[in-house]
Amino acid sequence: MRVEWKELQEKSFYQATARERAIGLVDEGTFREFLGPRDKMVSPHLIVLGEAVEFDDGITVGVGKIGAHPVFVVSQEGKFVGGALGEVNGAKMAYTFKLAMDCYEALKEKYGSVPEDRKPIVIVSYDSGGVRLHESNAGLVAHSECMEMFWKMQNKVPNISITASSIGAYGAQGFVCMSGDVVLANDYGRIGLTGPEVIQQEVGKDEFDASDRALIWRTMGARAKYIMGDVDFLLPDTIGAFREQVMQIAHMPMAEIAKYRHLGTPDLVEENLSVVKLAGEKGFNDSKDYWKYMGMKDVEDIPEMPQEKFLKIAKRRQRGI
Amino acid sequence: MALTELNFEFKPGSPKTLVDEWSHVGVVSSGDLEVLIEKGNAYEGKAVIRVMTTVLGFDSVWETVLKRIVETTGLSSVKVSINDNAATPAVVKRRMQQAIANGGGLQ
Repeated sequence: MRVEWKELQEKSFYQATARERAIGLVDEGTFREFLGPRDKMVSPHLIVLGEAVEFDDGITVGVGKIGAHPVFVVSQEGKFVGGALGEVNGAKMAYTFKLAMDCYEALKEKYGSVPEDRKPIVIVSYDSGGVRLHESNAGLVAHSECMEMFWKMQNKVPNISITASSIGAYGAQGFVCMSGDVVLANDYGRIGLTGPEVIQQEVGKDEFDASDRALIWRTMGARAKYIMGDVDFLLPDTIGAFREQVMQIAHMPMAEIAKYRHLGTPDLVEENLSVVKLAGEKGFNDSKDYWKYMGMKDVEDIPEMPQEKFLKIAKRRQRGI
Repeated sequence: MALTELNFEFKPGSPKTLVDEWSHVGVVSSGDLEVLIEKGNAYEGKAVIRVMTTVLGFDSVWETVLKRIVETTGLSSVKVSINDNAATPAVVKRRMQQAIANGGGLQ
């Protein structure tokens, strides 16, 4: 297997495969994959149903290094069954988090407390529609295992979410993504609990028109989420840019990283509910209403303008941090 | 649809083998496939190919396409494992070429 790490740094994050993303996010030549394609651990459920299988079951997991930090990487492949989580890839994901925790405990035992420059880090590159419906119960169990590990990792292992690939983070992966400490995205990132088609199907076209691409992007797209404060860093679309940002976060103390967190405490619940309350009071019907309320001009141009210009003019929701 | 397993074994006229131990390319998305090539002494002089495909009834097309690739490149002493989700012959050929290139080519 040959991969040119230097070429990967310039490559579009959006176009890269899960494996390329995983290799490119850590230091050159340091990535070691767990259960790679040669181990041929495919989903037994898909075989029974006569569906196509993949040797890595649509996920690349492994460990690499950034400086002295051990970095545990989970990278989902959206092109295989929508990146959806089943039994095998779900177990691979949850177990990687467990290994990160084991690494933390081992370092703690060795040094007394984990040195800041050696603390383990978890990166998850989301590209998934949620639970793989062919193996739904196993997929749901995998999600709860991931959430349990996130809870154990809190304030110990920094947990970085990336949504920058074609599917985004939807369904059950939407809340798993938001449960990370820091959320990174490029312009193609998307986060949502229920996808556009399902909202239309359940509540009607008047509520949400799934054929209106512009509506989808200004509701669930990375720029809208950046203004709302759900995405913490909006980055250019190269793997190298994401690696640089991860490096900067790695250098922060854990207490500072924890301030970015979006979910998980009563205060954050209050903070999030205040946005819902505001939307009700002001009668917002569209993201554009909120952008105008925030004092941004040219709201029609916001989705289309170059990212550099957007980052200059964006007025973001003030968070409690 | 049912998953179909096809097994082939070809012996090229002028055998060569992969430079690296193994090589992997591709993602099993719709109309695409993944190719894993592994070197092994057990396959001396021949290309052992196993295909898992979702499409029924194209056994002879697979045989023709793969046989031609093995004959023209001389790929041998390897096991090739393919997971396919309805890729066309042109895509199969391209992914096989990519897999060989990704493994450092043939010698």
